Amino acid sequence: MTGRAGVVGGNRGVGSSELRPDGAAKVGGAFAYAGDLRVPGMLHARTLRSPHPRARIGRVDTAAARRLAGVLAVVTAADVPGVATYGLISADQPVFAATEARYAGEPVAAVAAVDAATARRALAAIRVAYEPLPPLVDPGLAAEPGAELVHPDGNIYREITLTHGNPSAEGPVAVEDSYFVGMQDQAFLAPEAALVVPAADGGLDLRLATQWLHSDREQIAACLGLPESLVRLELAGVGGAFGGREDVTLQIHGALLALATGRPVRIAYDRVESFLGHPHRHPARMWFRHTATAAGDLVSVHARILMDGGAYTSSSPAVLANAVTHAAGPYRVPNAQLDGTVVRTNNPPCGAMRGFGVPQVAFGHEAQMDRLADLLGLHPVALRTRNALRPGDVLPTGQILGAPLPAREAIEAVAARPLPPPLTAAAPETALPGGRATAATHSRVRRGIGFALGYKNLLFSEGFDDASTARARLALDSDGVPFGTVHSACSEVGQGFVTVAGQIARTELGVERIELLPADTGIGSAGSTSASRQTWMSGGAVHGACVAVVDRLLARVARSLGLPPEVVESPRRSLVIDGGEIIGTETGTRLPLAEALADGGPVEAEYTFHHRRTTALDARGQGDPHVAFAAAAHRAVVDVDLDLGLVRVVAMALAQDCGTVINPLSLRGQVEGGTAQGLGLAVMEELVTVGGVVTNPTLHDYLLPTAADVPALDFVALTYPQPGAPYGVKGVGEAPTCTATAAVVAAIRDAVGRDLRRVPVRPVDLVDLSALADPAGR
Amino acid sequence: MTTPGGPSTVLHRPGTVGEAVASLTAEVEAGRDVRLLAGGTDLVPALRAGGRGPAAIVALRRVLELRVRGASADALTVGAGVTYADLAGWSLAPGLAAASRVVGSVQIRNCGTVGGALGSANPRGDLLTFLAAAEAEILLASARGARTTDVDGFLRDGPEPGELVTAVRVARPSGPQTYLKIGGRQAAFPALVSCALLVDRVRERVCCAVSGVATGPWRVAAAERLAGDEVDWSTGTAPLALARRFGELAAGGLRAAPPLPEDPRHPADYRVHAAGVLAARAFARCLAGVRRGDPA
Repeated sequence: MTGRAGVVGGNRGVGSSELRPDGAAKVGGAFAYAGDLRVPGMLHARTLRSPHPRARIGRVDTAAARRLAGVLAVVTAADVPGVATYGLISADQPVFAATEARYAGEPVAAVAAVDAATARRALAAIRVAYEPLPPLVDPGLAAEPGAELVHPDGNIYREITLTHGNPSAEGPVAVEDSYFVGMQDQAFLAPEAALVVPAADGGLDLRLATQWLHSDREQIAACLGLPESLVRLELAGVGGAFGGREDVTLQIHGALLALATGRPVRIAYDRVESFLGHPHRHPARMWFRHTATAAGDLVSVHARILMDGGAYTSSSPAVLANAVTHAAGPYRVPNAQLDGTVVRTNNPPCGAMRGFGVPQVAFGHEAQMDRLADLLGLHPVALRTRNALRPGDVLPTGQILGAPLPAREAIEAVAARPLPPPLTAAAPETALPGGRATAATHSRVRRGIGFALGYKNLLFSEGFDDASTARARLALDSDGVPFGTVHSACSEVGQGFVTVAGQIARTELGVERIELLPADTGIGSAGSTSASRQTWMSGGAVHGACVAVVDRLLARVARSLGLPPEVVESPRRSLVIDGGEIIGTETGTRLPLAEALADGGPVEAEYTFHHRRTTALDARGQGDPHVAFAAAAHRAVVDVDLDLGLVRVVAMALAQDCGTVINPLSLRGQVEGGTAQGLGLAVMEELVTVGGVVTNPTLHDYLLPTAADVPALDFVALTYPQPGAPYGVKGVGEAPTCTATAAVVAAIRDAVGRDLRRVPVRPVDLVDLSALADPAGR
Repeated sequence: MTTPGGPSTVLHRPGTVGEAVASLTAEVEAGRDVRLLAGGTDLVPALRAGGRGPAAIVALRRVLELRVRGASADALTVGAGVTYADLAGWSLAPGLAAASRVVGSVQIRNCGTVGGALGSANPRGDLLTFLAAAEAEILLASARGARTTDVDGFLRDGPEPGELVTAVRVARPSGPQTYLKIGGRQAAFPALVSCALLVDRVRERVCCAVSGVATGPWRVAAAERLAGDEVDWSTGTAPLALARRFGELAAGGLRAAPPLPEDPRHPADYRVHAAGVLAARAFARCLAGVRRGDPA
């Protein structure tokens, strides 16, 4: 590591590689995910989905399904007592399609039965009168004036025109091309699940897997027509999210069935339903034109981005803002015209996924930078180093880039890492592209090296105050030993907040034992587990609450010791907690913490953390929209079999701007996962739709990287503290996803000498079909 | 926990082939939908996803006589209950072992069986492709007795009602064998295109089947004829140039075969091309002495 070391706590405090409290249970298979929850007498629910990407819906006949033995309820759009639609930004998504289905997989009805098999049979007994209509699945056509409207709200979710400097300024050297990014899925480990229990007060208790309890509650309560106080949510075990749990999926369906039957309802998706049920990463069509001076300084960047948002809004408007504002990449660009549109089609809805619009544009701007370097005769690293943003630079939005942002240092650091040894004839065939199946031949394998530099905004943008609240308490247990309690509604989806919160509380409260209460709606919102924000935001809330607890306790002790009022006012000037004791720094007085707590009772405090205010974009795309950024650079090394188009990623190196490191082990987990997910988009992960219908909604056909596909990550953490964040942290989960895809594709280009304009790269994109070139391998 | 198939499914657990056939026959004669269960790698996911389970399941794990493999002077016989993991290290059967090593994940190889590969009859199945090239005999048992059929016949007609695959029989290898496969990642992937090739030095011929292009494993007859004619059978070798022609003929033959449905990510042109490359490489490895580390 370079920069500030960052260890501020003890052995198990901030800066230590404390292990996850749930780690052993997860590895051993004992951890209970939301789908594992069972209560006596519960019913099993399933969802009926439209097979058509677009169809008018006539009668939905549920009579036969209701008559089946063991079926307790069937609900459709007619049974929604509150608002008929929901959504994160715009409530345009029907709980159930009522008059028209707008994507293949849209829920039409749900049933609750005594067991899952009966529920499945009931689905088969529901008769829906569909009148299929020609679906609008081409986002280019959807954006055209006069296009048929997919929805009364129109086909354009958002359009952004961003003008910076003089957009007609041009450098003498120009590169221009179009790029395409396919539809990636979050494909988290544990499919969607919730257990909904009706309560005596007419309300509901939900235990579920989600990314944002309070946002779910708001949407569920509105559709049920219940006050939010009657809808209580508790987080159950969440097996990954990556943005795919930001939108409500099965929550309202399960709640309607629980209210209809008066019995607990388990609603859970299988893998196919999971693929159909949540929004995906936006496919993007992008055009870029970069111009530069002969020396290699960027003069202008023009970009036009068209994203396919699918049938409902989800977080499309915010994703587009990210794509547009990051479209020029982490480079000094004096002049830019960056335009974007996200449209409604009859394709599956798209929304949040790790990187949130940035991986798409990073693939485009990094391809452009490589072409520019090629044209200028510069090394790709040299061109990036020359143009990399520095704090104080003006971004295309007019925002002044704050410190730190070690973009230049990141690309230089990653370029300086040792390369893997060259491929030799001694390598086993299983080490060649294609791995175990040994189809590749040494003599036809070429190696390539690629680089990518990127940056990603942290926290919510465009004026949103995504505050987080936490409560902390210091008390004595039954043995008289002091311990801390932390309560936050932060969704632990695997990112490690449960570890980090404990480390922060241990450091601040000065006690070893910390209990983290279940995340629920019994406390104020923690905001969403997304946008790389929870260590900063909810970490900040926990930090603030713990600091307040200690301040209160020390003030109380100061009063009881009869210290002067100015010490009572700022007790930390004269008192510290260390080693289980409160120590007077001047007097040397020592008071056991246990004694202080026994004397005056437990101490508790609540704290709400806000980040600095940002602003919306104006009509020219100008403003101060982003709280802060993190930079990352990847270097990828790949081997490609030239005749088969098989790719193997041989090595990945990453240098990332991480802020202060709270937990080095957890950090490594995040950056390795982010790298793997970006690698997946580069070479394999794509939901393929034909006429709006997903053709590969299984893990047999939608391939994810395995351990054999992801090389060990050579990782360099750049640890400059971030102002305004607790301890100087930065969010770390998203930045590597933004650069890994671009770096892997750059390496493949280097190996095969072809322009690659779409991801995922497919074998057919890499081979010359016109000639069966030397098939024997000589 | 949901019971696969639901509570109404009858489970038979025979201990012998005779008992298994008897259970199967009884269910068929009663007109009930009955399925065989061995490794469960296809049946269990289908039951989880489907609405109604079969009326009866005959579980074969206790039928130990299905789980043996053996070698005679001229043939290898593999019981239908033998798993891929059992075959993956079998030194007497290098081609069967090579195909078995690249089936699915380690969990699938531990569960999946030879009989299951035939029962599911996935047109791109790894083992099926090898068995087609190896001209395997498929042994079936029913209340009417035993019979054998070949892979083509089995794929065309399937087992008769009440019939159970008991084993497959292939000739003992008399030359190099290989199985090459491509797909979407480095391990645990279904075949996109694959090629099984066996050299028979006794009968002086090469047998080669390709999957992933035609509607099932496809024997590349013209390429096989070329090999039979032009390989130097006194040494069992061929020049590299012949491998290239072998691949071209294989690809040419596949262009005329009845195609699998088009795949938006992997167009037929690519799959035919890849099949030609795989056939040429398989040929070169088995006959032209191309081994690891040969210079480019």
